[in-house]
Amino acid sequence: MVSILFAGFAQGQDKPSIGYTPSSYYTFSWNTTFTLGDFNKWVSNGSPAGFDFGGRYLIMNGLTAGFNISWQRVSQSYGYETFYSNDGEAITATNYRFTWMVPFQGVIAYHFMPDKLVSPYIGLGIGGDYMEHHLLVQEYDIYNTRWDFSLTPEIGALVKFGKFSNWGGLIAFNYKWTTNKIDFTNYFKSKEIMMLNLKVGIVLIVR
Amino acid sequence: MKPKILLILLVTGLFLVTSCSKYPPTSDRLLEDLVVYTKYDTSIKFSQFKTFSIVDSISYISQTDSGKVLDANAQAVLNQISQNMTSRGYILVNKNQNPDLGINVGVVKNVNVQVYYPGWYWGYPAYYPPWYWGGGSYYYPYYPVYITSYASGTLLIDMVDRKNITPDGKMYIRWNAYIRALLTNDHTLNQIKESIDQAFTQTKAFSN
Repeated sequence: MVSILFAGFAQGQDKPSIGYTPSSYYTFSWNTTFTLGDFNKWVSNGSPAGFDFGGRYLIMNGLTAGFNISWQRVSQSYGYETFYSNDGEAITATNYRFTWMVPFQGVIAYHFMPDKLVSPYIGLGIGGDYMEHHLLVQEYDIYNTRWDFSLTPEIGALVKFGKFSNWGGLIAFNYKWTTNKIDFTNYFKSKEIMMLNLKVGIVLIVR
Repeated sequence: MKPKILLILLVTGLFLVTSCSKYPPTSDRLLEDLVVYTKYDTSIKFSQFKTFSIVDSISYISQTDSGKVLDANAQAVLNQISQNMTSRGYILVNKNQNPDLGINVGVVKNVNVQVYYPGWYWGYPAYYPPWYWGGGSYYYPYYPVYITSYASGTLLIDMVDRKNITPDGKMYIRWNAYIRALLTNDHTLNQIKESIDQAFTQTKAFSN
């Protein structure tokens, strides 16, 4: 991915810029996660621990296709609770929950004004995640791991830093639905995992 | 453009450091808080036991020394254990009155102490590894319950079955409790006593 990024950068340097409309662009964004639904009952804190790398390629008339790969983590401390096992054990301790996510999606996005300095878009990501849900009861690490299917509608805007600049900014907001689940048998169960993501990042534009 | 590349690398590195790590920083995870762990033998009924005896001091072990603790705090701890037993109907008797249960109490300041042997209590083999939490597919303790690499104290309470001694003279430990982090800075005697209460409260065998 990094080589693609810098290959695009080199291309951007070698050729003179020919206009506002990019042929492709690459994003690197800070991703803040806000949990929803059952996921919010698991961890209610919003989390700035995440980033996202993406690429978009112009197909025609503002329509782009591309990909996103991300890393995200949400976490929260909880007070004293007592946990029981089936063989006579019990532990009372503070505990800590976190979910670690690696999403990967193919993305279709439509830019309403691809030739303008500010280019808003709507998009849809389709893909999956690898998630680990951890319940840390002091030294004990109890966890689920799951793969899932995910859908992510997104709105956002690409903001070019200058008329012919190869650099820009990105701000985007998406809703993500996944088939992932949390299952700690007698302690916590979720149906599906949903969240909102706010992405703010930098963009390398290739014309 | 070179500064921009450096900027990208810097930002990338920052994000990688803050986000890629799966586990949150240990400072976020409250690892010095009190922990009350108990385990009882589910194969027996505790209602068969009527009397108990308890040691008159607390064994103490660290990396450098061991001995007995006899001070007022130790007595308060022993009294709290006895009170929890008597409030559940067990009768405190002297050691020479053939009690059904014997209670041994120890403290470990476990700075890299790897194995704790609480000593021999009327001849029982004391080593009893309690540190596997459940047998389900997703239970993975990554440290045994009282083997840690940071300084904290662990109070150990073992309850020995003197009523069902094996033919070769060995006795089973039917219940044990580990209360961790007692030696960290801010835990008061009251918190320790509350933790002892909690150890008894969370043991379902005592409420059956």
